[in-house]
Amino acid sequence: MSTTTLSAPRGAAAPAGKFIAWLTAKDTLATGVIMGLAILFIGFAAPFLYPPDPYAIHPAAALQSPSWAYPLGTDELGRDELALLLSGGFYTLVIALPAAILAFFIGVAYGLASGLGPSWLDKTLMRLLDAILALPSLIILLFFASIFTPNNTTLILLLGFISWPALARLVRNETMAQKNRDFVLATEQLGASQIYIAHVHLLRVMAPILVVNGTFMVGDSILSLSALSFLGLGVQPPYESWGSLLEQGLDLIALNPWWLILPPGLLVFGSLLSASLTGQGLLARFGGTR
Amino acid sequence: MIRMVAGRIASSSLSIVILVTLVFFMAHLTPGGPAYSILGQKATAASVQEVNARLGLNVPIWQQYFIWWWHLFQGKLGYSYLLSRPVGQLLWTYEVNTMVFYTVSIVLSTALSILFGLIQGVYFGRWPAKLIGGLQLAFYALPAFFVAAMLVLWFSVNMHLLPASGIVNLREVHPGIATYAAHLVLPVITVTILTVSALSRYFGEAVHEELGKDYVRTAAAKGITFQKILFGHVIRNALRPLVTILGLSFPYIFTGGVIVESVFNYPGLGWLMWRSSLSQDYPIVIAIVLLIGVLTVVGNLLADLVNGLLDPRARFE
Repeated sequence: MSTTTLSAPRGAAAPAGKFIAWLTAKDTLATGVIMGLAILFIGFAAPFLYPPDPYAIHPAAALQSPSWAYPLGTDELGRDELALLLSGGFYTLVIALPAAILAFFIGVAYGLASGLGPSWLDKTLMRLLDAILALPSLIILLFFASIFTPNNTTLILLLGFISWPALARLVRNETMAQKNRDFVLATEQLGASQIYIAHVHLLRVMAPILVVNGTFMVGDSILSLSALSFLGLGVQPPYESWGSLLEQGLDLIALNPWWLILPPGLLVFGSLLSASLTGQGLLARFGGTR
Repeated sequence: MIRMVAGRIASSSLSIVILVTLVFFMAHLTPGGPAYSILGQKATAASVQEVNARLGLNVPIWQQYFIWWWHLFQGKLGYSYLLSRPVGQLLWTYEVNTMVFYTVSIVLSTALSILFGLIQGVYFGRWPAKLIGGLQLAFYALPAFFVAAMLVLWFSVNMHLLPASGIVNLREVHPGIATYAAHLVLPVITVTILTVSALSRYFGEAVHEELGKDYVRTAAAKGITFQKILFGHVIRNALRPLVTILGLSFPYIFTGGVIVESVFNYPGLGWLMWRSSLSQDYPIVIAIVLLIGVLTVVGNLLADLVNGLLDPRARFE
């Protein structure tokens, strides 16, 4: 190809080049998993290892920058920002992860029902899906959050019941592509029910796609929850989440409180990057491209 | 072509009908029901019963459904009982700000995406493409509120270069164009960073794929210069996924991003959606939900039609 005539210098910047190579390596699985484990540790183990009470107020020590006493400084109420960040991680994950699992099962069930059901059911469900997909999830989330004023349990249900449509479409298309293959038809001839075919054959054939997209959904769930909390309609006081902590930092932006803005933002970013890298790594493992 | 256009329009119309029906039921979920949402009055909870009776909302639900359609056709979107203005009028006021903001953002994003995508496709597997690929991956995972917060922290708070929030409303006062532009810089950069990281990637992959095709080799064998192949053939063919995604971003030109507009306190439609959700001003929320849904369907339709013009094969898909 004529592009080869345009020779470009290789390895121009060594350290930056290495970092980029690491980020864009074909197999990003290890990086993603390690980051994911670190995030899980921050959310579920670290709150028990760092004793200060996140919700204790110290008015005398309000809005201090990081020091030995307060490793990540304090907010305007004098609350320990590191403790808040760990507690916020707990509430972020304890809501976002079950929500992602719920959305995953709804999406798979909807997709299978549409793909395996009679043609009128498929047409109806897909039409409905088209309409639902026309509404961005954040917009529907805002609408329902404004009606219910969510608590932690309703947030799981809300996120779960809103985040499934993209997966449902994927599962339906994949079911359509697989259900006329010989081994499925043969099983059908032997008298197997659709439910048997679904869980013995189709789900197994689809497993790689499901695992990869399930991973992406975890990232999406964390992002949705953080965005909603950032907008004041997610995790409600007295509890905090990364999104709500970032929002509080931003409220005081004129005072330049970088220690209130940078850490929660980086943690959300890390979670999303971890899910994205893990998903892409898995995809590469399973032989897909992208 | 005409058959394809007619088919797509019919299909989109059906989607819009289903969408309006969905939103009708969503409106029914709001406290007080569609009394507020369609025919909204400054009614306290206690007087909702009386309002319902007077407005005929105690009729069977299927009749209410047709009333809903009838009002939509008349452009009656309801009445905001907190801002005490008709919703349609309110939407238009905020619409203008959003349209300026997002038109600039989308044009800039598309231009940069084509530039980066071209570099990525042409230099595939070498450092310029890898650099862009790494940046895309990192920026794609960046949440909008974090990008916006960091930009404000650096450019407004630390360097005092640009205003962090607010804007003079275009329709009420006439600010100097420079003031207005300065207020737009950070929001536009935020949207551009986020859009380009996704858009350039799709375009880059498409360019790379096209460059590997037989017609490129044939053209090269005939002695046509690489520039001519790239700009004459490859770009045109690689534009399809880009057009599809631009179609998806079409509604944002009108409705804006809730997050970006809320961070910068930019009084656009996204900001209005956010404030109305917080203050439970349902007529506005419902109207914006409906607007976004309809625009998304229209955006998809436009993308399909443009792709049909670009590539005859798409007309038969």
